[in-house]
Amino acid sequence: MTSVPASPPPAPSAPLIEVEGVSKRFGAVTVVREVTTRFFEREVAVIVGASGSGKSTFLRMLNRLEKHDAGRIVVDGILLDDNTKHLDAIRREVGMVFQQFNLFPHLTALENVALAPRRVRRTPRAEARRAALEILTRVGLADHAHKHPFQLSGGQQQRVAIARSLAMNPKVMLFDEPTSALDPEMINEVLDVMKDLARSGMTMVVVTHEMRFAREVGDRILFFDHGQLLQEAPPADFFDNQRNDRIRQFLGQISH
Amino acid sequence: MSAVLALWPSGWTRQQKSTATIVAASVALVLVMWLIAWPLALLPDPIGPAAREFAGGTRVTVWLTLVSGVSGLVIGVLAAVAKLAPFAPLRWAAGLYIWAIRGTPLLVQVLFVFLALPLMVPVQLTDFSSAALALGVNVGAYNAEAIRAGILAVPTGQAEAARSLGLSPRRTFVDVVFPQAFKIALPPLVNNVVALLKDSSLAYVIGVVELSNIGNRVQAATFQPVPVFFATASIYLVLTTVLTQISGAIESRLDIEQRGH
Repeated sequence: MTSVPASPPPAPSAPLIEVEGVSKRFGAVTVVREVTTRFFEREVAVIVGASGSGKSTFLRMLNRLEKHDAGRIVVDGILLDDNTKHLDAIRREVGMVFQQFNLFPHLTALENVALAPRRVRRTPRAEARRAALEILTRVGLADHAHKHPFQLSGGQQQRVAIARSLAMNPKVMLFDEPTSALDPEMINEVLDVMKDLARSGMTMVVVTHEMRFAREVGDRILFFDHGQLLQEAPPADFFDNQRNDRIRQFLGQISH
Repeated sequence: MSAVLALWPSGWTRQQKSTATIVAASVALVLVMWLIAWPLALLPDPIGPAAREFAGGTRVTVWLTLVSGVSGLVIGVLAAVAKLAPFAPLRWAAGLYIWAIRGTPLLVQVLFVFLALPLMVPVQLTDFSSAALALGVNVGAYNAEAIRAGILAVPTGQAEAARSLGLSPRRTFVDVVFPQAFKIALPPLVNNVVALLKDSSLAYVIGVVELSNIGNRVQAATFQPVPVFFATASIYLVLTTVLTQISGAIESRLDIEQRGH
């Protein structure tokens, strides 16, 4: 998109999402302030920070569930703006997993997973259901395919939600605090699915409070503070060699 | 209300029971419409001799309710969607419609469609069509508010999830929001239909020969208002009972989480 003649040779993998000087206000409050970063293919980026630091709002701007007020976002070469064609094209390639799962309660697990391929990709019903069962098997829920969301535990519901996103074969998946609404004993089953995804080469942007996951799986940690991207660093530097006092304080608080 | 549901074998699933109830009650409604003259004919004077008239009036009442009920549902969905539309003139138009219809008496609306409308537009409707139009437009306004409340009660995360999967706004509404909104709106919608069945008696003022009209004619001819109005009221009760059985079964069918049991 941005072909500046004097630009350096392209990085080994092209950026899938480019974010330049993006800001967002809710009324008088600036919740995201001039954030610039890039997300690369096959990368797992983990966004951490205190509650209210703007990390969820930032993530939701990447598929325009929130509109940014300033700056520009380019996803897979497509500018994210008010053009609905652009938006539809981007949303087909960007999966999203929510804190509250947001499964469709009137549909079975299988129907939840098969809906978007049928409606958006025009996959025939039988094929969509076969593919859906395959993906549910991948997240360990083949036996629960015909249950409705209310019959599933929180962990199972979130795995169905991940399967639902995967069914669209997205190029990147966004996770908005995917384990924050779960009972402690169910967190690991969801994190295990996410680890498998990361190993399979899925590009992921994850907002989470799970520091062990960030350290183990993340390629890069982004720390948000009062709407600003305060630091980007590899996990080893971020957790073990932290120089910033504000972040040291944050890490000290959550490790107890 | 769901008395029939309890009659089916206990081994049946909720869906089988509700489907069986919907089928049985619908068959009952058709039988009432076709065969009601037969039990009525067995009743003593003044009902027995007028059995065929009562049967004809019952059929007209049921038809009027069905036609205006279905069109009122369609109007209600459209008006609810319009009132929630991002395009302001659509919202105003829907608001104006609901405000005008709910703020004026149904009797005036029925008379307006029959007497005033033909002078304003060059279309002459029959008395039945006029009554069906007035009743459909009237119940549509109340349905719109019930459906709008249902749509607003569906969590925003549902539409967000559908949109982020790439579903268009239209598909999001049809596949995700509306099925959940309809389930929430069903009890007030049933209220509206039961009220509609009884309000259809107002068609009497423009000469539609429906059940109330028959009742009044028979009592005027026989001077026996007590048995005549007992019979008329009983037929309305049978009809509303069948109607609530069907709607209760639909509710049970949509109640996937079985919270009503």
